Amino acid sequence: MTDSPLDPKSEASAGLMQYSPENLVPFGPVHPSLKEPEYFKLYLEGEKIVQVVPRIGYVHRGIERAAQDRTWVQNIYLFERICGICSFAHSMAYTQTAERLTAFEVPRRARYIRLIIAELERIHSHLLWLGLVGYWTGFDTLFMWVWKDREHILDLFETITGNRVHKSFITISGVRNDLPENIIEPLKKEMKYLTGRVDYYSDLVSTEETLVARTRGVGRIDQDVARRLCPVGPLLRCTGIARDIRKEDPYAAYDELVPDVKTSNQGDIASLLLLRLEEIRESCRLVTDAIEKIPAGNVKLAVPRVIPAGDSVGHIEAPRGELFYFVRSAGGMKPERVKIRTCTMANILTATEMLKGHTLADVPVVLTGMDPCFGCMDRIAVVDVAKGKEWSVRGEELRLHGINWYKPGRQT
Amino acid sequence: MGLLSWSRKKSPWIFHVNAASCNGCDIELVASLTPRFDVERLGVQLVPSPRHADVLVVTGTANALMRERLKTIYEQMPEPKYVVAVGACALGGGVYQECYNVTNGIDKVIPVDLYIPGCPPRPEAIMYGILKLLGIAPEKELEPALEEEIVGAGASK
Amino acid sequence: MEPERVSRLTTALEATATQQRNSTLLAVKPERIIEACKMVVEDREFYHLTTITAIDEGQVISLFYHFWRGTEFLTVKTAVPKSDPRLQSVTEALPAALFYEAEIADLLGVVFVGSPMTGRKLLLPDNYPTDAPPPLRKESNPAQIRKMMGLD
Repeated sequence: MTDSPLDPKSEASAGLMQYSPENLVPFGPVHPSLKEPEYFKLYLEGEKIVQVVPRIGYVHRGIERAAQDRTWVQNIYLFERICGICSFAHSMAYTQTAERLTAFEVPRRARYIRLIIAELERIHSHLLWLGLVGYWTGFDTLFMWVWKDREHILDLFETITGNRVHKSFITISGVRNDLPENIIEPLKKEMKYLTGRVDYYSDLVSTEETLVARTRGVGRIDQDVARRLCPVGPLLRCTGIARDIRKEDPYAAYDELVPDVKTSNQGDIASLLLLRLEEIRESCRLVTDAIEKIPAGNVKLAVPRVIPAGDSVGHIEAPRGELFYFVRSAGGMKPERVKIRTCTMANILTATEMLKGHTLADVPVVLTGMDPCFGCMDRIAVVDVAKGKEWSVRGEELRLHGINWYKPGRQT
Repeated sequence: MGLLSWSRKKSPWIFHVNAASCNGCDIELVASLTPRFDVERLGVQLVPSPRHADVLVVTGTANALMRERLKTIYEQMPEPKYVVAVGACALGGGVYQECYNVTNGIDKVIPVDLYIPGCPPRPEAIMYGILKLLGIAPEKELEPALEEEIVGAGASK
Repeated sequence: MEPERVSRLTTALEATATQQRNSTLLAVKPERIIEACKMVVEDREFYHLTTITAIDEGQVISLFYHFWRGTEFLTVKTAVPKSDPRLQSVTEALPAALFYEAEIADLLGVVFVGSPMTGRKLLLPDNYPTDAPPPLRKESNPAQIRKMMGLD
């Protein structure tokens, strides 16, 4: 046993070990045994956050283990319920990775339909996020308007797939059903409407004073952070790195309908706002393109219930970023192992980096800015390092604190 | 009934807990606040603390980390209180039944007064459920068109 | 992947390489995992660590470090015996690996020596029974774990 904090048996590593990319800083004496599970532990020096330690697992349901007890098709229904917001993305990533182990080719029409639903989901996810940014910054009107617009997409989902949230629309070798008749004109009309709304919201988020004050320069990251901590999705693209799995590793119909990858080089939350709005615009264009060019044909094949043995890796660009699946088949009716790496898991370290140097008032905006796929805001622990004092705040309290902090006329 | 009970019944204050859910039910619950469904016009309001709430709305599977939290929140609510379980997971574990980290239904953790099935239930269904819990739904005070909108949509879809 | 790149890696790391669909699989000995990860990210193109997968294969636990280059995957594979599942943590060379390792530590019981997350759970509840096997091991039984945690 040594004195080094790296030695798990040493005195120096007792208590809570914090990870900082530059150095390992043991924080103590803070007792790790808290009464309730905290999601984020914020260490404050004065007003500023110096360290963030996330504790996740509050949504851990044991899905990877459950997948081993379900057949290949049953797992589609399991995985899409990992997240209600990007549910089609999960089922699509899983299905495509499993299909890679087989020899059949997904029909072209099915690939176009998969693209359409995936892009519609991207639009719905980004709109949902935009509304939540409005909610957390006290901009309730934005929240109401955006979520009303989002209902248009949910209606489309219901018309095409039968459900607003968990669409269960994909199946091994294609999609479950064909598009309904007469969907082309309504779909194009909705895409045109939403593109107009994007223009309006882009203008709004760049000019509305409080929103600008709360997002410009906040949570700034750069390419160095990106290379070290490997974030994915818009969080990566806002640093200027133009990586998008749809373009790098085309799946569904993205080889024929190539998306234009949007980036920003500001790296802050304000740029994320505009970036996601631009992505909505691009998605509207892709959907319009797809529905005009969609080929005729069948939408699925009759396939056997077993997937040939082997290992397969696959990823897609979900609304929040790269969603990765590893599938191992032993040649049976159930997978032997499925490993999932969600986008949020890849972004947590970057989000903690974004929080450093900010005050409590900025926490809601920064955490929402990473577009987390878990209700991490429910309870946050705050530690005052100098005083050694620790207390819990609810996300709602932080939200109200932030709104008051940034009221016009208040000294910040 | 006293003035306090009467006013509570007309304006239920709701505290929402996401007990390890996929967020599907939560976004449909939040969607019921948005202009299309606008549950606030019926007096329903989301509050930020369980100490102010009449109704606890729970979604999700109540996994091992969330069970204690759920119990604590339930205990913090003042009487009279009601609990609504929303979604297949809160009802009986949903698609995660028998997974190693989930509870098969939140009624194993706290007493539940109303179950709203669905995966996820539509906003109209959630609204109808809450109104039914408070005995407001069948009353004639609702305009027929409004009742048709809520009851009809929830039943036929 | 280009043959010169592959042979450079296999020679330096005494590793074997196989091509698997869209991924080049590089199998290294566990003692060389930090060196392997360092070599991979030195090549600026492969900096993106997608994740680390771990599988219980009976006698050993296999770990796959997936790197994405922008055109293809490079997967560095290693294995540790289940009787003594200890492996060097690569967090110094790859800071992004922190939570991926912690997840494997929770779910498969692999000990990553030198990881700042040592002794802390990432996903599992703190009251996860110590005498139950980690959930993703072959011998684990969800019904038994539920009973031990009092979830019924």
